[in-house]
Amino acid sequence: MKVSLFVTCLVDQLWSSVGTSSVEVLRRAGCEVEFDDRQTCCGQPAFNTGYRDEARQVAKKFIEVFEQSKADAIVSPSGSCTAMVHHFPELFNEEPHWVERAHAIAAKTYELSFFLVRVLKIEDVGASWQGRLTWHDACHGLRDLGIKSEPRRLIQNVRGAELVEIENAESCCGFGGTFSVKYPEISVAILDQKIEAIERAGVDAVISGDASCLMQIGGRLSRKGSSIRVMHLAELLAGHG
Amino acid sequence: MNTGDARTEIMRSIRAHLARSAHYDGRETRIHTDPCKSASQQPSQPVVADFKRNLELVDGHCILVHGPLEIEDAIKRIAKGKRIATSESPLSAKDLFEYEVGITGGQLGIAETGTLVLDSSVERNRLVSLVPPVHIAVLDASRIYPTLGDALSFLQSGNEVSPAITFITGPSRTADIELTLAIGVHGPQELYVIINLDN
Amino acid sequence: MNTETFSENAKAALKDVQLRGALRNATTLFGKRRREAAASLSNWEELRSEARAIKDDVLLHLDRYLETFVENAESRGAQVHWARDAAEANEIICRLTLERGARNVVKSKSMTTEEIHLNTALERAGMHVVETDLGEYIIQLAHETPSHIIAPAIHKTKRQIAELFTTELGMPPTDDVAELTSTARSTLRERFAAADIGISGVNFGIVETGTIVIVENEGNIRLTTSLPRTHIAVMGIEKLLPRFADLDIFLKLLPRSGTGQALSTYQSFITGTKRNASDEGPDELHIVILDNGRSRMLAHPVTRQSLACIRCGACLNACPVYQQIGGHAYGSVYPGPIGSVITPQLIGMEKAAQLPYASSLCGACREVCPVKIDIPQLLLHLRSEISTRQPAGRRTERLAFKLWAMIMTRPWLYEKTAIAGRLFQRWFAPPVKAWTASRDLRPIEMESFREHWRRTH
Repeated sequence: MKVSLFVTCLVDQLWSSVGTSSVEVLRRAGCEVEFDDRQTCCGQPAFNTGYRDEARQVAKKFIEVFEQSKADAIVSPSGSCTAMVHHFPELFNEEPHWVERAHAIAAKTYELSFFLVRVLKIEDVGASWQGRLTWHDACHGLRDLGIKSEPRRLIQNVRGAELVEIENAESCCGFGGTFSVKYPEISVAILDQKIEAIERAGVDAVISGDASCLMQIGGRLSRKGSSIRVMHLAELLAGHG
Repeated sequence: MNTGDARTEIMRSIRAHLARSAHYDGRETRIHTDPCKSASQQPSQPVVADFKRNLELVDGHCILVHGPLEIEDAIKRIAKGKRIATSESPLSAKDLFEYEVGITGGQLGIAETGTLVLDSSVERNRLVSLVPPVHIAVLDASRIYPTLGDALSFLQSGNEVSPAITFITGPSRTADIELTLAIGVHGPQELYVIINLDN
Repeated sequence: MNTETFSENAKAALKDVQLRGALRNATTLFGKRRREAAASLSNWEELRSEARAIKDDVLLHLDRYLETFVENAESRGAQVHWARDAAEANEIICRLTLERGARNVVKSKSMTTEEIHLNTALERAGMHVVETDLGEYIIQLAHETPSHIIAPAIHKTKRQIAELFTTELGMPPTDDVAELTSTARSTLRERFAAADIGISGVNFGIVETGTIVIVENEGNIRLTTSLPRTHIAVMGIEKLLPRFADLDIFLKLLPRSGTGQALSTYQSFITGTKRNASDEGPDELHIVILDNGRSRMLAHPVTRQSLACIRCGACLNACPVYQQIGGHAYGSVYPGPIGSVITPQLIGMEKAAQLPYASSLCGACREVCPVKIDIPQLLLHLRSEISTRQPAGRRTERLAFKLWAMIMTRPWLYEKTAIAGRLFQRWFAPPVKAWTASRDLRPIEMESFREHWRRTH
């Protein structure tokens, strides 16, 4: 199985170990991984802030780059970016020929945990990590892509890790892209409710499938001087946590 | 009356805006990932038992009796010493405020929710079932239908339904003050449905 | 509080510890009850899909359905009035009350009548108006507006309500909810007995029979619509259902979504006027059909779904933003997720431009909406409309994204910018400050993923 990595601009620039971990996990799962360094971004920031023309331009670039790949699948360590790609066809209501191209790309773009469990049918990637951890369901992955059991199955096979559920695992962390800086007080109020549950659960780490959520949660935990770490699922599975 | 102008303008506005949307209406591409669960049949239960259980769940009282003598006894037990108004009494609305118990029949029952259905074209039950703090309704067991859908279907005859139909599910309630449940707000504080198993 | 000061409203709400506690309790409880009620029906998802399909059909053919509804209601004795906007609706209703020499009006809870500020208009016309729904009565006494679609006084504690009753009604101080309720009951009974006119909203208008359906728990709607000689019902144009049998679906969805009940205590099905003068009930039924900006929403399939709303309030309870700031901060009769999308469309984008951005797009609202309104899709649509139509207010942002697009469509430029970013990241202005006020920020990597890849492959 040949996979083209869609690393996301956030991971590329702010959390590269998520990218390197994703590559390692995919290779361990038996995939050949390519990376086309002409990729930049999925366009989500512009789309979410209402700038559809700009989002469309960036989406077109994305489609053009990844159309040239001979890989069987495009895999990304981000639920929100994957969901954005799945929304590409909506951007092209006035350009039917682009709709088709967008559909074709969307159909082969997968979020990492979904790809491992649903496509490769692999739930154990030979990972190990000692400690108690909890999973945060990132909103787009959960509600747009239906990802819920897949990460949990992968985590349950991590030797030495004890998965503890928090009662508000499905609640938003308050990031929401530009929302986090347009309405920072509301963003942090929402975040603190998540943090409260995490602290009460007595875990060593919080795991999620979206680096943006982890930045939000991790940024607050470290500001509060907490010893609870944040880790991306890919990092956990690659044993680079 | 403004009817002519306002009506025309509103209808025109509706049509004009719908016409504008036609341009987008077949073009909106959307990927839906909503799973659709299929319905499974509810196991069928005796309707009277269901009705009783569901009414009691919402703090209503349900009394099962056989025949008119037992109905009378039940009413006497509930309403002893209290001023009673029935749907046959020709009382004015204002007078009803002085009464403590209102007694009506019941046109239908809905088992799945413990709901009593009153049709004001059959008897004068609209205010008697509402104003006094205690409402007693006498319902034949044979008028209890399993589901809401059954009742709606029964109530409708072609395009016709009675002018004023009321569904009653338990005594009146509110949780508007700090979410604390309070029974008996504007409507009756107590609801008794006496089911005559003989009919 | 108004929509234009949303940001300040929200900040103030966040500082109100008591409000946040009340919101937390209420939204958690309502959410839990909704979940349980939905789970108790094995065909919940099917019901939602069917309900949405019915609403889509109604809205797509609203002109025909509305005309048939009115014909059927009128042929059964209702008098139907048409109101293009709030002012016209109030003018009609005030005229009806004055023509009948009325002085005392009792009202049941209706968001539509709040929307048009009916009470103010009636009071100006010399009417005594009393809200009879307990929550609405409380906020009327307090001279406030509702903060939740279903539970208007959710933001008030027992103590605050007790103090209010002592001040306004001379009730001896108490903490007992039953006593407070009982006081409201007896006070309002006097008003019911004296009322000339009863005004209600409409939950559903049934086209094929000309019936209006109103749903409640307290009994005040039954009193409002049975005791006074005249009943005026205010109905938004979108409230229609084609068939009486459709109620099976909607009466299952509405109470479960709103409060977790299988069925609310009372449903009133009112069709025209009484058949005989000696029958019980009002002599006259007036239905005021209100547009007030609704017809505009029909112009695009994405905005049209706004009109499918059955006003259950489930989205409010599920929304992480609403859970923190409550309803008043939105400055609108309609708060929360549905409020964020219909308020700008009803009162104008310019006045409510902040609302569509006050969301993290988490999608919890879409999950709980009984008629499957895709609120995030609507929010994104409105954000796009606002950014296209209001360039003046967002010039810097627009430029920033134009620049961003230029960079993101040129990989070489993207890489150069990223490298520059490493050096100058400390100088990135407002967005960074907004973040770092309360959260630490990861620095830009000294070696990006792509640089690492190139180095190792």
